[in-house]
Amino acid sequence: MAYQVSIFLENKLGHLERVTNVLKNAGVNIRNMNLNHTANGWGILNLVVSYPELACNLLNQNGLSAALRKIAVLKMVDKAGGLDQLLKRIAKAGVNFTTAHGMVLEEGKIAFFAIDIEDIPDARERLEAVGLEIMPDNYVYGTRFM
Amino acid sequence: MEYWEKEIETMPRNGLRFLQLARLNTTLEAAVRSSYYGGLAKRDRSFRTRVGEVAELQDFPFTTKQDLRDHFPYGFLSLPTKEIIRLHSSSGTTGNPTVIYHNRHDIASWANLMARSLFCAGVRDTDVFQNIVGYGLFTGGLGFQYGIERLGALSIPAGAGNSLRQIKLMRDYGTTAIHAIPSYLGRLLEVFREEGLDPRTDTSLRMLVIGAEPHTEEQRQRIQEMYGVKAFNSFGLSEMNGPGVAFECEFQQGLHIWEDAYVVEIIDPATLEPVPDGEYGELVMTTLDREANPLIRYRTRDITRIIPGECPCGRTHRRIDRITGRSDDMFIIKGCNIFPMQIEGVLLRVPEVGDDYRITIDTVAGQDDMIVEVEVKKEWFRGDLQFLDALQKRITRLIRDEVLVSPVVRLVEPGSIPKAEGKAVRVFDKRIR
Ligand SMILES: [Zn+2]
Repeated sequence: MAYQVSIFLENKLGHLERVTNVLKNAGVNIRNMNLNHTANGWGILNLVVSYPELACNLLNQNGLSAALRKIAVLKMVDKAGGLDQLLKRIAKAGVNFTTAHGMVLEEGKIAFFAIDIEDIPDARERLEAVGLEIMPDNYVYGTRFM
Repeated sequence: MEYWEKEIETMPRNGLRFLQLARLNTTLEAAVRSSYYGGLAKRDRSFRTRVGEVAELQDFPFTTKQDLRDHFPYGFLSLPTKEIIRLHSSSGTTGNPTVIYHNRHDIASWANLMARSLFCAGVRDTDVFQNIVGYGLFTGGLGFQYGIERLGALSIPAGAGNSLRQIKLMRDYGTTAIHAIPSYLGRLLEVFREEGLDPRTDTSLRMLVIGAEPHTEEQRQRIQEMYGVKAFNSFGLSEMNGPGVAFECEFQQGLHIWEDAYVVEIIDPATLEPVPDGEYGELVMTTLDREANPLIRYRTRDITRIIPGECPCGRTHRRIDRITGRSDDMFIIKGCNIFPMQIEGVLLRVPEVGDDYRITIDTVAGQDDMIVEVEVKKEWFRGDLQFLDALQKRITRLIRDEVLVSPVVRLVEPGSIPKAEGKAVRVFDKRIR
């Protein structure tokens, strides 16, 4: 299963750059980014990166709070109502996710949908049981040609 | 139950009141022999030399630390200097220091209160007592020294610092009891560990006395665990002699404050009116057994409360709670008096957040808000919003239950709150006054 890096972040100027700077210096490629802010002055930044474990360690070493969270990246059907159809199937699988974000992994051609399944141990089985295709890790991380 | 002075320590309350009244009148007569109180009695008719009841003290003006400073060095001295045998003074890097003088009687009385205090916590003449605080002008050194000697235990006047030497002394002479400030005991433990030693098994310690530094019950518990023995709270302040003012007994449910030697009042620092037993306020004290330097209604600036009810030990002298801060640190928000130590106490009970915190009081839309910033510990962070949300709600509820005002709790990145150095300012009041 693939992982995203989730980072605790205050809503303050320059804090996001602190993250991107650490990753840039380490040559970690950010594939997708999603920022979940709360009204309480802080939020969670979810990153899909080329080397999640390395990124997580580096961020923690640089004084940030980062954690790895399991995600399932699903392909969206490439037509109108595609997301709606996907969500219906996820619901059918009984996978009740709380965090999700759309991502584009291939030059704007195909859209994907990443859902956080860290707290749902049998998510993979459930999703596959309704015929959903979970993208392989190296595809998600963009490392399959390396 | 054993007592140092059974008759006084277990005296019925009405007997204690008579004793207080007699001593208060003696004290007032002595006080007006000083230039400060003498002048005050002429100026201010509420200051009298004779009262019919101890409660009448509530009409008297307060004495503050500033008064002591303003009438430095002899303004509060009630006896000719030839009668004086010792002085203790605060360091006072800026302005005048505060100084307290003692004659023979005062030193003997203080030594006896100190011995009574130590006995009350369980120290006996068979103990080896190592006093790990500074000697000299600081009252914790000589105050304890005289008390230990008066009690008859073997004293080791080790003084502060040099942890390796402290450990060696403890092991060479089989120290059974030590007195130190709570934060030092943490550092001392580190040195124990560096030496491959464990105070629980490699010393003869059977008790600790801690004081001179505000600390929470949680910190005391930690110290007790680290050393494997009970730690008893000691309270004192140099203006009231020093240590030996109030002390914990074996039940560790608050500190008996010696009411044959002091009249104790707890006031609201904002209104200066007395607060009911059980409520927090500023401790105000009047000396009852001091000849050279009597003080009347001295505002200690220490925040505590009277613990209602009787102590199982049988002592009738009331108990005060541990000091929760200084009245200077108190702030008022939405009509509630709040002390930073109360907030600190709550945060110490939340394992997910660090010890550093910051309180900001600000006016938002015409309403005062208390913003409490806390750092979420890295090891608890799992990357999900729900956990942090729940944590924030939990801290909000805990603080509200403690101080009766709902705070705005802000979770911040670890390391973003500056580390507190000693008595750092934790409260920023941005309100426009
Ligand atoms: Zn007691």
